[in-house]
Amino acid sequence: MPQFFSNKRLILLLVGIIFLVALISFSLRDRNHASVPEQLIKDVVGFGQSFFSKPTQYVTGVFNNVESLLNTYDENKRLKARLEDYASLQANVNDLEIENKELRKIVDKEENLRAFNPIQSTVIARNPDQWEEKIIIDKGEIHGVEVNMAVMTSQGLIGKVILTTPYTSTVELLSTQNPNYRVSAVIADKEEVFGLIEGYDEQRKELILKRIDSDFEVKKGQKVTTSGLGGIFPKGILIGEVSEVTTDDHGLTKLAYVKPAASFSILDHVIISKRSISPIDGTDGNNTESDLTEGAGDGS
Amino acid sequence: MIRFLVIIISVLLFYMEPIFGLFSPIELQGDFYVLVPRFLIMYLIFVSIYYDRKRAMLYGLIFGLLYDVFFIDIIGLYSFIYPLMCLVASLIAKYIHQHLLVATILTLVLVALVELLLFLFYTFIGIKSMTYTEFFQFNLIPTMIANLVFILMFGWGFKYILLNRFKQKALLLQK
Repeated sequence: MPQFFSNKRLILLLVGIIFLVALISFSLRDRNHASVPEQLIKDVVGFGQSFFSKPTQYVTGVFNNVESLLNTYDENKRLKARLEDYASLQANVNDLEIENKELRKIVDKEENLRAFNPIQSTVIARNPDQWEEKIIIDKGEIHGVEVNMAVMTSQGLIGKVILTTPYTSTVELLSTQNPNYRVSAVIADKEEVFGLIEGYDEQRKELILKRIDSDFEVKKGQKVTTSGLGGIFPKGILIGEVSEVTTDDHGLTKLAYVKPAASFSILDHVIISKRSISPIDGTDGNNTESDLTEGAGDGS
Repeated sequence: MIRFLVIIISVLLFYMEPIFGLFSPIELQGDFYVLVPRFLIMYLIFVSIYYDRKRAMLYGLIFGLLYDVFFIDIIGLYSFIYPLMCLVASLIAKYIHQHLLVATILTLVLVALVELLLFLFYTFIGIKSMTYTEFFQFNLIPTMIANLVFILMFGWGFKYILLNRFKQKALLLQK
C-alpha cells in the first residue's frame, strides 16, 4: 500500500480541516445575512437556475392542466352545487366591505392590518438536500422583498422570507423544525381566540398552536388565520384547520394541532405579502419581542 | 467539443438537482418520502474513476461551494464532502476492477455515505431531530432508489464520454 499521507500532505490536511471547521462555525453563526460575495454568487446561480426551472414548470403545468381536464365533469357537478351559496355569500361580502369602508371613514382610520401589497413570484429551486425546509424564489430586494415578509400560496400561508439578495430570496417554510419560528395566530369563529404557532409535528405533518387561553372553547374544524398582532404578517391569511385540541404539558393553556391549508410538497407560484402597516419587532418569526412592552407570558 | 462536455454535464446536473428537488417529498399513503437528487456527486465520482482525480476534486470544490452558498448557507459543508468523495473513489478505484457495474456500486455506496455524513452533521448542529430508523426509512432508502434509477440510465453514457476524453488527452500527451 503506497503511503498517501506524507508529512506535507498530513499538514495540509490538518490545516484544511481547521479551516473548514472555522468556516462552518463562522457561517452557522450568522446565517440570516448574506455578505456581498455570497449575494453575488446567489444572484448569478439564481439567474442560471431560473433558465432551467421555468421550462420545467411549464411542462408540469401542462401535465397538471391535463389532469384537471380529466376531473372536469366531477368538479363541475360539485361546483354547480356550491354556486348558489357562493352568489349570496359574495353579495354579503360586498355589503360588509362597503359598510366596513364607511365605518372606517367615520372613525378616520384608513390603515388596516389586513391590507398588504402582493408580490407575485416563481419558485426557482427547492433546497435539494431537504434537511431544511427552504425554497428559493426569483424576486429580491430590487422588487421590494424584505426579510420576514409572509409568503403564501392561493391556499394559505406557507412561510416567511429569511434571506434576500438583490434578485433572489430564500423562504423558510412553516414545516421547519426551527424552534424560533413562531406565527401569531387567531381562531376566529364567534369570538377571537389567540395563540402562537410554535413548531411542527413531523409525524402528524401538522402545525402546533400553543398558548391558547383555556377559558375559550376551541373545536375541531375551526379555521386558523394569522392575527396580524405578531408584528410582521398581515391579518387574515389562512393557516389551516384545527384537527385536535389537547391541553399543553403544564395544563395551563390549551394546545391545538392545525392541519395546514397549503400543501408544502409541490410549490411553484407563491405570493409575498408586504404589509401596509409598518412592521414591528413582535412575536412572528424569530423576532426578539423587543417592541412589545408586555411580552406574552412565557407558557413553557 | 468533447473537451467541454465534461464541464457542461456538471453544470447541467448542478442545475437539474434542485428541479428534481421540487418534486420531493412524495406522499404515499400518508407518509412522506424524501428523494434527494445526488446527480452531480455521482457524476463527479465517475469523473474521478474514469478520467482525472484532480479535475474531479476541483469541480467538487467549486460546485460544492456554489451549493453551500446558494442553498444551505453553511459554507464548507458540501465543498468538503464533494472533493472528499472524489478522493475516496479514486483511491478505491486503484484496487478494484474498473467495470461499469463495480463503479456503479461504488458510487451508490459513496452517495449513501454522503447522506449519512449529512444526517450526522445536521443532527449534531440540531437543525433536524430524526431517529436512525426514520432516516433509513424515509430518507436514505427512497433517495438510494431514485439515484439508482438515474445512474442505471446514464452511467454508461458518462463512462463512454469520460473514457473518450481520457483517450483523447492521452493521445495529445503522446504527440
